[in-house]
Amino acid sequence: MDWTKVFLSILLLPLVAALVNMLFLRRNGTTAALVSITAAFFSMVLAMIALFKCTERYSVSFPWLSLGDFQASMGIYYNPMTATMLFVVTFVGFLIHVFSVGYMSDDPAKGRFFTGLSIFMFSMLGIVLADNLIMMFVFWELVGFSSYMLIAHYWNTEEARSACKKAFIMNRIGDFGMLLGIAWTYWHYKTVNLQALEVFSSQPGFVIHGGIALLLICGFIGKSAQFPLHTWLPDAMAGPTPVSALIHAATMVAAGIYFLCRIFCILDAQTLEVIVWLGSGMVVYAGICAFAQTDIKKILAYSTLSQLGYMAAAVGLGFPGLALFHTTTHAFFKALLFLGSGSVIHACHHEQDIFKMGGLFKKMPLTTALFAIGTIALCGVMFTSGYFSKDAIIEVAYFKNTPVFILLILGAFLTAGYMGRLFYVAFLGSPKSQNSEHAHESGFFMLVSLVVLAGMSLIGGYTQGWAPFARQLVSGELDTVHHQIVSLQAEGLFSVLGILPWAIGFAIALLFYGIGAKKDALQNHLPSVYSFVNQKLWFDEIYGFYVRNVQQRFADILNFCDVVLVGGLLVRGTAGLVGVVGMMARSLHVGNIHIYVYWFLAGLIIYWSFAMGYF
Amino acid sequence: MNLEVFKVFAESNIWSALWVEIALVLLALGLLVLELVLPANAKRTIPSVAIAGQIILLVLASIQLIQMPDDCSGMYFSQMILQTPQSAIMRIFFLLGGIFVSYLGTVYLARRELPKMEFFHIVLVVTAAFMILVQSHHFVVFFVALETLTIGFYVLVAYCRTSSASLEAGLKFLILGGFSSAMLLFGIVLLYGVAGNPLLPGYSTDSMNFSNLATFITQNPTNPLVLGGAVLVLVGMAFKIGVVPFQIWVPDVYQGAPTPVTAFLAVCSKAAGFIVIINLLNGPFLGLSDVFIPLLAVVAGLTILFGNIAPLSQRNVKRVMGLSGVAHAGYLLAGVVAILCGSAIAHGAIIFYLFTYLLGSFAVFAVMAHVSQKEDEIQEIDHYENFAKHNPFLALALVCGLGSLAGIPPLAGFIGKLILFIAIFKAGLYTLLGIAILGVVISIYYYFGWIREAFFHIYAIGERGTTDDREQLVDVLKPTPMHALAIGVLVTGILVLGFYQGGLIDRLFYML
Repeated sequence: MDWTKVFLSILLLPLVAALVNMLFLRRNGTTAALVSITAAFFSMVLAMIALFKCTERYSVSFPWLSLGDFQASMGIYYNPMTATMLFVVTFVGFLIHVFSVGYMSDDPAKGRFFTGLSIFMFSMLGIVLADNLIMMFVFWELVGFSSYMLIAHYWNTEEARSACKKAFIMNRIGDFGMLLGIAWTYWHYKTVNLQALEVFSSQPGFVIHGGIALLLICGFIGKSAQFPLHTWLPDAMAGPTPVSALIHAATMVAAGIYFLCRIFCILDAQTLEVIVWLGSGMVVYAGICAFAQTDIKKILAYSTLSQLGYMAAAVGLGFPGLALFHTTTHAFFKALLFLGSGSVIHACHHEQDIFKMGGLFKKMPLTTALFAIGTIALCGVMFTSGYFSKDAIIEVAYFKNTPVFILLILGAFLTAGYMGRLFYVAFLGSPKSQNSEHAHESGFFMLVSLVVLAGMSLIGGYTQGWAPFARQLVSGELDTVHHQIVSLQAEGLFSVLGILPWAIGFAIALLFYGIGAKKDALQNHLPSVYSFVNQKLWFDEIYGFYVRNVQQRFADILNFCDVVLVGGLLVRGTAGLVGVVGMMARSLHVGNIHIYVYWFLAGLIIYWSFAMGYF
Repeated sequence: MNLEVFKVFAESNIWSALWVEIALVLLALGLLVLELVLPANAKRTIPSVAIAGQIILLVLASIQLIQMPDDCSGMYFSQMILQTPQSAIMRIFFLLGGIFVSYLGTVYLARRELPKMEFFHIVLVVTAAFMILVQSHHFVVFFVALETLTIGFYVLVAYCRTSSASLEAGLKFLILGGFSSAMLLFGIVLLYGVAGNPLLPGYSTDSMNFSNLATFITQNPTNPLVLGGAVLVLVGMAFKIGVVPFQIWVPDVYQGAPTPVTAFLAVCSKAAGFIVIINLLNGPFLGLSDVFIPLLAVVAGLTILFGNIAPLSQRNVKRVMGLSGVAHAGYLLAGVVAILCGSAIAHGAIIFYLFTYLLGSFAVFAVMAHVSQKEDEIQEIDHYENFAKHNPFLALALVCGLGSLAGIPPLAGFIGKLILFIAIFKAGLYTLLGIAILGVVISIYYYFGWIREAFFHIYAIGERGTTDDREQLVDVLKPTPMHALAIGVLVTGILVLGFYQGGLIDRLFYML
C-alpha cells in the first residue's frame, strides 16, 4: 500500500469537505453536515487501516519553499505517537461530528459550524502528521484560527465574542515564543526536521540548548492552557458544546502535549523540571478552582486543565509515552463527559447551571448512566481507562519526585470531589427548575456517540488490546514503571492509593453537598473560602490590571506618537506631499499632447546627459 | 551577391522554428475567413474559435517546453531569430496573456455595439508579434515586430469608436508612440552607422545584428555616437514599459482604452518590453553596463516612488491600475539592474515575477471588466461599494488579484516579490531594495483601500439608513460559467503558486 497517499488522504479529506461546504453549502446545513461527516468517517477508516497495517516508521517529505540554502518542506513523519494520535483525533472527531448533527439540529448556521469543524480536523491532523517544526507551526496557527472561529460561533453573544479574542490572543503570546524557538532551532541545529533532530540527539556529544527548549515550550503553554496562559480555556466554553468537547478537551489542547512528545529529544533537564512543576501545580490549582464553578461546562473545563497537568507532569518526569497514554484515555472520557453535558444542556434548553438541574436520572437515564461512566473513568476508579493511565503517572512521580507525587495524589482526590459534586447536584435529587422539569432523553445521533465513547472510556486503558505498533509507545514505559514499583515494594501502597483518593473524594462530596442540593454548600457554609476559590488566584484581575495600567499606558504613549508623529507629521505630511505630487502630476497630466511631447524630449535629454556623464 | 550566398542564407530559414507564431497568424486569418463565410447567427462562435485555438497552441507549446532539451538555443533566418529557453517560456506567457485578453474581450464586447471579430484578430496578430519581438536578434526584425504590435495597439486602444475617451486615448497613444518609435529608429540608425564605420575597431558590415553590435560596442564603449544611439534605443523601450519620465502617457491611455486592451498593455506589452530590455542590455549594450547601471538604478528608484505615490489620491481604478503598473515596472527595472550587477537569480526572478503579475493583473482586470459600465473609462472606486455582498465570487477574485499585486503572503505575488527582492539584495543594491520595500508598503494603502471599499460597509448615519438595505451603485455583470472558469483558473493559479511552487523557480533559475 502506498502510505503517502493514505496519509495525504487522511489529511486532505477534511480540507476538501471544508472547501465544498464553504463554497457551495453555506446555506444548506444538512448537506454540509453530511459532507463533513463523510470526510471525517473516511479519515477515521484510513487512520485505522494505518494503525493496524502500517507497522513501521514512515517518513516522506516534499520540498515546499526553497530560497538559496534555506529549505522548508512539507512532510509526514509516522511513528507510534503519530499512529495513536491519528486514531484518537479521527475517532473522537468523527463521533463528535455525529453528535453535532443532533446537538446543532436547530442552529441556523449549521453550514458555517461544520465548515469550521472540518477546517479544525484538517489543521489538527496536520499537526499530528507534520515532520518538521515549520509545517507544525503552520498547522498550529490554523488550529488556533479554527478554534477562534468555532468559539465565536454564537457571535451575537458578548461572552463568545470576548472569549474568542481572549483565546486567540493568549495563544498568540505562546506561539510567539514558539516561533522564536523554531527560528533558533533552525539556526542552532541547522534543521527543523523532527526525525533529523531525533537522529542528532542520539549521537554522542550532542548538547541540548536549554534556551531553545524553553522558547519552544511556550507553544505548549499557550495551546494546552498551562500556567500562566491558562485563563482562556474556561472562557472558551462559550462555544458550542461539541466544539468544547473536540477542541477544548479531547484534541487541540492535547496538541501541546503531543508537541512536547514530538520534540522530547531536544528538551533538557531544566526545561523538563519546569514542565513538571507547571503541570503538577496546574493539577491542584485547577482542581480547586473547579469547586467554585456552577456552570457544568466550566467545571469540566477546569477538570481538563487539571488533567492536562497530569500529562505535562508525565512528560516532565521523562515519560512521554505515558503522557500520550493519558491523552488518549482522557480524549475518550472527557469527550464523553462534554458530550454528556451537551446532551443535558440540549435537554434543559441551554441551562448550564448545575444548581438549576437536578433529578436528571429520572428524565434521561441513559445519559446519566453514560455520564457516570465518564465520571468514574475521569476519577480513575479501578479498571476503567483513566485508572491505568493516571495511576501510571502517579507511580512515576512516586519514585521520581515526592512533592510532585503528593500534588498528583491531591489532584486525584480533588477530581473525585468536584466530579462528585457535579454528579450529585445535577443528576440526582429532584428537578429544581422548569427547564430540568421538562428534560427528555436525547436523540439517536447524540446517544450513539455517547455509547461508543463510554465503551472506549471503559476499555481504552487495556493496552494489551491496542494495535501492536501503537502499543510500542507505552509498553516499554509501563514495564519500566512496573519494575520500579516492584523493586521498591510499593505494590501494596498502590493498591490502596488506587482506591483511596477517589473513594474519599466521592464520600466527602456526598457528605458536604448532599444529594440534589439547591445551593452551593461551600458558598453557604464557608463563604470566605468560596470567594477565595472563586477568584481563581486573581489571574484575570492581574492580567486586567496589567492590560489597563501597563499595556494601556504604553498604548496611550504609542497612540500619542501615532496621533502626533504618524498622524500629524507622516500622514498629514505625506498627504501634503502627495497633494503637491498630485498637483504636479495633474499639471503633468494636463492631457495636452504638446506638453507630453516636450516632456518626452526633456526625458531624452536627461537620459542622454546622464549617459554622457554630465550628472 | 551570387546564388551561393542566397543558398547559405536560405539554409537557416527553418520555418518550423516559428510554428507557434505562424499558427497564430493563420488562426487570425482564419477568423477573417470565418467572418466572411459563416451565416450571421453563427458568428457568435468566432471568439470561442479564437480562444480554443490559443488554448490548443498553449498546450502544444507547453509540451514542447517540457520536452525541450537543456541546450536548445538556436539561431535561425541568418541570425535574425535567436531562440532560447527564455523565448520558449515567454511564448507560454504571451499565449496566456492572449487567452485572457480574449476572455476579457468577450465580457467587454457583450455589452457594446461594436465590431466583434476584429478585436480577436488583432489580439492574435499582436500576440504573435510579441513572440517574434522577444526572439529577434537583429534590429530589422526587431523594429518590424515592434511596429506590428504598436500599430495593433493603436487600433485596439481606439477600438471603442463611439467613445470620445477611447478615441482621445488612441490619438495620444498614436502620437506619443510614433514619437518614441522615431527616437528608437533614430537610435538604431546611429548605431548602424557608427558600427559600420571601417575606421573604428570591431566594425561590421552587418551591424544591425546584435552579436556584431555587441562586439563593436565592447570595443568602443565611449564613442558619443554609440552612447547617443544606445540612449535613444533605451528611451524608445522605456516608453513601452512606462518608466519615469516616460510614464506620462500611461494614465490617460490606460483610462481611455477599453478594459481588455488596458490589461493587454499593462501585462503583455510591459513584459515584452522588459524581455527586450534584458536582451539588449545583456547583448549589444553589455559594453555600456557601467553607464547604464547607475542610470537605470536611479530611474528604477524614481519609478517605484512615482508609481506608488501617484495612485494614492486616485479614485479611478483604471488610473490606479495604470499607475501601480508603473510601480511594478520600477520593481522589474530594479531586477534588470540586478542582472547587470551579476545577480545569478535575477533573470529567473523577473520571469517569475512577470507570471505572477500576469495572474494578479488579469484577475483584477477580469473583475473590472464585469463591473465596467457603458462608459468604460469611468470606473470609480465608489462603484465597488457593497461589492462583496452581491458578488462574492468576483470579490474573491478581486482580493486575490489585488493581494497578489500588493505582495501579501500566501499569494503568488508575494513569492514573486520575495525572489525578486532577494535577487536585488544579492546584487548588493541595498538602497534600491529599501526604496522597493518602501514602495510596497505604500502600495498596500491604495490596493487595500479598494478592497475595503468592496468588503466593508461604511456607516453613514442618518443618511441612507442601515447598511443592510443599501444596494450596489452599479449594475455588475454576472460571470457566465466560462468566465467564472477563467477567473477560477486565475485565482487558483495565484493561490497555488503562493503556497507551492513545486521546484518551478529552481527550474527557471536552471534554464535561464
